[in-house]
Amino acid sequence: MWNRSKLYAAAKILNGALRPRPYLAQVFYPLPPPRRVCSEDSLFHRDSKIFDGSLHHFHLFRIARCTIYSGSPYSTSPGHGDGLVCWKCGEPAPLAGPFLSCVSCRAVQPVDSSVDYFQIFGQERRYELKGENLERIYKEWQKKLHPDLVHSKSEKEKSYADEQSARVIDAYRTLSEPLSRALYLLQLAGILVDEENTIGDPELLAEMMDVREAIEEASDQKTLKEIQSQIRRKHQEWSKSFKDAFDKRDFDFAIIATQRMRYYERAIEEIVKKL
Amino acid sequence: MADEIYTVAYDSETSADERAKPVPADIAIGIDIGTSKCSFAIWNGAEVEVLQNTQIQSTIPSHVLFKDEMPPEGFSYEVPRSGAEILSGSDAFNMKRLIGRVDTDPVVKSSKMLPFMVQTFGIGQIPLIAVPVNNVWRSTTPEEVLAIFLAELKENAEHKLKRPIRKAVLTVPISFSRLQLTRIEQACAMAGIHVFRLMPEPTAVALLYAQQQQQQIIHENMGSGMEKVALIFSMGAGFCDVAITITAGGVSQIKALLGIPVGGEDMLQNIIHYLFPDFGSLEKMKSNRLLRIAVQNAIHELSSQTSVEVKVDLRDGKIKSRSLTRVEFEEVNHKVFVKCEKLIAQCLLDARLTAEDLSDVILVGGCSSVPKIRSLVLSLCKKEDSYDGIDPLEASVRGAATEGAIASGASDASGSLDLLTIQVTTTSLGIRVDGGDFVPIIRRNTSVPVRKEMVFTTANDDQAEALVVVYEGESRRAEENIILGYFKITGIPSGPRGSAEVGICMDVDTSNVLRVYGGAHLLRTQQAVSPFLEVRMPMADIGQGWSVQALVKIYGSTMDLAATPPNEVQK
Ligand SMILES: [Zn+2]
Repeated sequence: MWNRSKLYAAAKILNGALRPRPYLAQVFYPLPPPRRVCSEDSLFHRDSKIFDGSLHHFHLFRIARCTIYSGSPYSTSPGHGDGLVCWKCGEPAPLAGPFLSCVSCRAVQPVDSSVDYFQIFGQERRYELKGENLERIYKEWQKKLHPDLVHSKSEKEKSYADEQSARVIDAYRTLSEPLSRALYLLQLAGILVDEENTIGDPELLAEMMDVREAIEEASDQKTLKEIQSQIRRKHQEWSKSFKDAFDKRDFDFAIIATQRMRYYERAIEEIVKKL
Repeated sequence: MADEIYTVAYDSETSADERAKPVPADIAIGIDIGTSKCSFAIWNGAEVEVLQNTQIQSTIPSHVLFKDEMPPEGFSYEVPRSGAEILSGSDAFNMKRLIGRVDTDPVVKSSKMLPFMVQTFGIGQIPLIAVPVNNVWRSTTPEEVLAIFLAELKENAEHKLKRPIRKAVLTVPISFSRLQLTRIEQACAMAGIHVFRLMPEPTAVALLYAQQQQQQIIHENMGSGMEKVALIFSMGAGFCDVAITITAGGVSQIKALLGIPVGGEDMLQNIIHYLFPDFGSLEKMKSNRLLRIAVQNAIHELSSQTSVEVKVDLRDGKIKSRSLTRVEFEEVNHKVFVKCEKLIAQCLLDARLTAEDLSDVILVGGCSSVPKIRSLVLSLCKKEDSYDGIDPLEASVRGAATEGAIASGASDASGSLDLLTIQVTTTSLGIRVDGGDFVPIIRRNTSVPVRKEMVFTTANDDQAEALVVVYEGESRRAEENIILGYFKITGIPSGPRGSAEVGICMDVDTSNVLRVYGGAHLLRTQQAVSPFLEVRMPMADIGQGWSVQALVKIYGSTMDLAATPPNEVQK
């Protein structure tokens, strides 16, 4: 009879060799990580019953206080210092653009966490994106980095491909959504966004109650769609407010804007579910 | 929208000559193990060929026959050769529905109507399955039955290809848990097959779709790599799956996956129960089998007729006869159709798309010919007709064989294998915190490869150890999800509760392997206290719900993790 542990024994040894011990990597960790950032990932947004009965339920809005670091001790690679060259063929990095894969030998390079998500997509570090062709660049990168396309190459390169590909996926997801893009910008500026402040904003609380009632009472699709387009407009207004505030480096107001955006996004989700 | 054509190429500097290298010798075959039928296919160097078994059938009933003689090598089963053998009453089937499921699972409970023994105790353990051989109930397991079946498939393929088969890509239902996937791997290992990849069924279809779109662009020399959005609806005997894919230039991004264990088998059982309410006792096994087959045929005929006569010769002098109209069929199975509709609506919601965004709707699987299924899918997707470039019964196995070729490193001069599919996770993965809450770390529908980290804290003062219990599922209560494993983090620096930081990192690679890393941080730094622990999940033969009950009984909340540190520490 077969035996599962036997089956995986070989694979386990292989994996051990393949992934450098994470704690070694962090010794070389190049940047001081931003402290306590809030991230969408820590919300139960799928289940958020934001329009449930009492105010009591609004705590579901709040971020569960988990921290996600932009760089992580689990990264296998220390990142680059000066004078970037390809680890495989020694070809110097191109003068412009992020060095994720080698132009000369196509080898996937180790993650350099000093390259931010905006750089990966050839964007300036601003809220408004130019060109809107994220999807195309995303797929271009995946063609160069995706582990499925790294055939019969070294285990080292495969683990680079795993990480680079995952990072580009995360970058794409982060930049393509307005709210996560806004939060990422704040994160790059080293700023904590604490979702609990939302509850202290009486104006927003009152509005939440109103919208909740309106959605509950809406009996037909037409009314719901009207509410939806109203909320969309507000989302756009606050998105613009974020941009202006961020450009002026008015971070306090920028944080308030992200909270508004989050709330409107949830409200739109609730309406879509009801439609 | 993309404004230029882009294609996947491993290396654009290699010439067509170099790329048309011979087929790698150990190219992986594609296997589609269906609830009721199986098929296998392989990339032959130029195209995918669906292989036939020795009886020249391209699909093989998913049955295993138990024989009473016991040969010295210990094998006493085989795949039935004929309908008469299927009727002999010593076979086991529907194993895909049963594999890796515990006896509290509703799918296992509904299997009580199958004409073999499924014994359950309702205690969250694997059910006992037995078939009658010479007046004795012989016990077996779904893995064993599947393994015998796969061994037979393998032998057939080897005979046909005249070379040993070692690797395979198998299609699996979206709703399979990681525990079930592990059981499939085990069954393959028993049959001597190394699982190269387990693909959710509709993503295999998505791969074919991407290939056809790409070939069309190359063929027609079209200047634009237009993005195509397709919804794939796949429904067979046991499972209903929906996927949404966006493809352009050979690169496909799976947007959302959603599946439920509902299929033709449920419709069959509903109709049997409706027509012959007294059906279902184990004693009348042979007549039960005859009834199944008669009703199955009747349902099949209802795809083209509006009413049908179900006539069963029970071979004991009795003949049962009932008429069945399509309207009745649709009424009796109303709940099944509602579930399908909900699935599609939710999948669109998950992908953040609407019916208007869809370029094509693809229907595959045995149930795609049921008129009601077709009409409900098309009307929800606001389409007049479905995409017709894909064979609904061979799509899954062809996709698996194509993936087998791509993953084995085969290439093709015409570029038909220059494809990349970015897959997503099918369930949320997370840990138990605050005494019983489930905190997802990697959410469902996240593109892979992915690596995510979250930092948690201790629930008690001076807590030196923390228990990390890993689950998959969508419920906010950990206990309602499926446990994949657990481990302990030790050496946490002492301090008041909420002050220590414990990092948990989850990693899913493109082969869908899950690794969980965990370790304590030094206070207020990201420096690790000691090396991180790496655990591959699911852990071997984990005892499902029992493990957690045992852990809670022994350790209570003394080793709990918390998601929310007390406020005073949050400065
Ligand atoms: Zn190079």
